[in-house]
Amino acid sequence: MNAHAQLRACRSQRLSGPRALGVLLAVLLTCSPVGARDVPANDGWVTDLGDFLSASAEASLEQRLESYRRVNGQDVALLTIASLEDSSLEGFSLEVARSWKLGSVDKNDGVLLLVVRDSRELRIEVGHGAEGLLTDSISGRIIRNVISPQFKQGRFDEGLTQGVEAMLSALEGDLTLVDTHEKRSRRRRGVGFSFMPLFMFIVIITSLFGRRGRRRGMGGMGWFLMGSALGGRRHGGGFGGGGFSGGSGFSGFGGGGGFGGGGASGGW
Amino acid sequence: MDRGCLISLITGVVLVLIVGATAMSGYNGLVSDQEMITATTAGIDSMYKRRYDLIPQLVATVKGAADYESGTLQAVVDARASVGQIKMPSELAADPDGLAAYMKAQDGLSSALGRLFAVSESYPQLRATENFLSLQDQIEGTENRIAVARGDFIKAVLKYNTRRRKFPSNLIAGMFEFEPSPTLSADPLVREAPAISFDDDQ
Repeated sequence: MNAHAQLRACRSQRLSGPRALGVLLAVLLTCSPVGARDVPANDGWVTDLGDFLSASAEASLEQRLESYRRVNGQDVALLTIASLEDSSLEGFSLEVARSWKLGSVDKNDGVLLLVVRDSRELRIEVGHGAEGLLTDSISGRIIRNVISPQFKQGRFDEGLTQGVEAMLSALEGDLTLVDTHEKRSRRRRGVGFSFMPLFMFIVIITSLFGRRGRRRGMGGMGWFLMGSALGGRRHGGGFGGGGFSGGSGFSGFGGGGGFGGGGASGGW
Repeated sequence: MDRGCLISLITGVVLVLIVGATAMSGYNGLVSDQEMITATTAGIDSMYKRRYDLIPQLVATVKGAADYESGTLQAVVDARASVGQIKMPSELAADPDGLAAYMKAQDGLSSALGRLFAVSESYPQLRATENFLSLQDQIEGTENRIAVARGDFIKAVLKYNTRRRKFPSNLIAGMFEFEPSPTLSADPLVREAPAISFDDDQ
């Protein structure tokens, strides 16, 4: 639990006297002065705390991952951070994946891509239900063959976009993006344009009929999303990027969190 | 007389029900904790087996691709052989020494493998083979899963042992002979540790 959140909770409930003292004590006890890094709050599918992505790349990754989730029902999230502080890469990655509860409850098929700026490390953390398709070996190949070569040349937008694309296609059983480089760029463009009508169709359907259940304000959000999708066609600064932070177009993680340490780590 | 008798009867029945419910939840809690421990140990054991099965392939790949430093390779072969002789005890509580011996052998294999991967950095020819890299991914992935499973095991044991000693489930534990479970030392996540021991050997 995060100390700020507790303090905020304390303030908002206007606790007084002994109860406030108790909460304060709890805050002091839970916030350890040195040690492991806190799990950051997520900011949609892409949480770019390490500042790797341009606004437009982040927005299009958000869209891509949201549409992937709508079509396949699977959570794939990206987190970049500046530093691990005292945590280990594997330990931190597992903690984030478990506490964000990535993946559906019954399948536990969530995937997390974690990138650390200062130690130049990255890891693909794979949930139990996705280990069969995104195996350790395939995860390692995506890091070595797709992401690292781009990162080594400072091309973070390309590395992360192509890396995510390779992960998604591997999760659909297609390994062509994992090893070859030339085919990738051609195919990626093809995929991008062919899913756009489908994406818009889904957005229109959901905004017209709404969704029963937990989502609120779907109608307005749907139209906003469609606007963004249309804007995305004109490549180059169509939107400020601010519109997507705060998780608009983000339907939330599945609530699974069943991770057992599958995946692979690497560096650049 | 009738009324007093009825009241005491009802009180008695209610008391028996309360005691029974507490005993049942205590007992069931202990059983489910025990099952959790069994499940996590089975997970640890199966992943160690998977690693054991991957090693012959690794050894063959290393031998085939490069004129590899024989000591490091032999250490892996020997450590694997000694792991093959020790089985994880089926009843952990009855055999904590067996568990310790099993873990010691597995840790020996972990550090031999770690050394092999560290030395492999100076064989660019070997590191260029996709087969070797893939095996390294798989073995490191397995070891990471083991580290995670060990952490989960330690948590499960802590939960069980705590419940065993807390009131009122400690009474149930005593009555039905729930033994305390042995635990493991926390495993520092596997990747860095062996590389350090390699430096020490130089």
